[in-house]
Amino acid sequence: MHVQRTIVWFATAATLLSCLGQVPADAQDAVAARTSIKDHRFAPAEIRVPANTPITLVIRNLDPTPEEFESTTLRVEKIVAGKSEITIRLRPLAPGRYRFYGDFNEATAEGAIVAE
Amino acid sequence: MNYLPPICFGQWRWIAVATLPLFFPAVASAQSATPGQTPDSFRELESKDIFGFTLGSDVGEEGELELENETNIALQKRTGTYSALEHEAELEYNPFDSFQIEAAAHGVYTWFSGVEGLEDRHGANFGGLSTVFRYLVIGCGPGAPVGLQIAVEPEWSRVDDAGKLTTDFNAETSIIADTELVPNRLFAAFNATYTPEIAREFGTPEWQGASTLGLKTAMTYRITQSEALGGELEYYRAYDGAGFNRFAGDALFAGPTCFIVFTNKLFLSAAYSTQFAGHAAGDANRLDLTDFARNKARLKLIWEF
Repeated sequence: MHVQRTIVWFATAATLLSCLGQVPADAQDAVAARTSIKDHRFAPAEIRVPANTPITLVIRNLDPTPEEFESTTLRVEKIVAGKSEITIRLRPLAPGRYRFYGDFNEATAEGAIVAE
Repeated sequence: MNYLPPICFGQWRWIAVATLPLFFPAVASAQSATPGQTPDSFRELESKDIFGFTLGSDVGEEGELELENETNIALQKRTGTYSALEHEAELEYNPFDSFQIEAAAHGVYTWFSGVEGLEDRHGANFGGLSTVFRYLVIGCGPGAPVGLQIAVEPEWSRVDDAGKLTTDFNAETSIIADTELVPNRLFAAFNATYTPEIAREFGTPEWQGASTLGLKTAMTYRITQSEALGGELEYYRAYDGAGFNRFAGDALFAGPTCFIVFTNKLFLSAAYSTQFAGHAAGDANRLDLTDFARNKARLKLIWEF
């Protein structure tokens, strides 16, 4: 009886998590991707990654001034201090184009992650 | 006796425009970005505050902190002068992805004079405290043409709509959906709310229940990178009893909305709605001015850290 109840509990929890799209990203190996900021521009500005796979994105700021990496569709907002780098873990992405910006230099610092 | 002026605009045209988003899922599905697509010159907007009284589904990024100053004004009953203003200072924080918590303190200001059924009252008071828990079930974006959020807002109020001291507990529970009909330009949203409430007037031992059902829909169009204009339609049904026990009245509101991006961290949302249909139970007059005001406005200043 106890075992049956435990199985039912786990099955319910797994179903709920799947429905909410909250299966832990760590369950799959993350794919690494990199970009740099130089003269307030991302290089590369377009980053291609496999769809439906967790991503580890490393952003290196080669400028002496800080930048804020921001994306509404990726739901990320992180400061990258001057002459430093940060690592961001992204959820598995559905195929599509996810734009990002440097919030402090929006006119030039723009790019996109393309999941395919 | 009805002292209100007759409706002088095509109300059904408003309804048709405001409910348009409900009938265009095919257009909505076209918004999914595809690899290699030409970048849009318009940057993405967080949809939460772009619709006025209707809310969008976005909750922002993990770790984001926001300060919001929200002012809601209710104006005009059937007779006399009725002005009720509620100001909320709100702090919002996203402790992890897709989840937002908000804490708010409320101040109220009332100016009632000659309103049938209400005592004349002029003054300001501390209105109460509230918190909001928002969870983004589906984030609108590539592969997901519709965003979906669920939210619950438990609130303690100490001043009621009549300006009297009270002890009131309520919890607005919302399902919030939105979409981009045209990517980064034309947005639509739909909200369904249920607000159960129990209240006890100061000095009396009896608790009384009430509940309100709300259906809201809105569209907004970005006319420039930093300005969006729209319209919304709201329908409310008020009941005595926390479980829709007895119908008390209903009201249909419509009005324009505006959203302005001052900087990447500072935004303004404004909305004005007027009641143009409805009735109160047991009242032969047009409109429900017992449970709702004739006009209402919202002004919200959002400062993102």
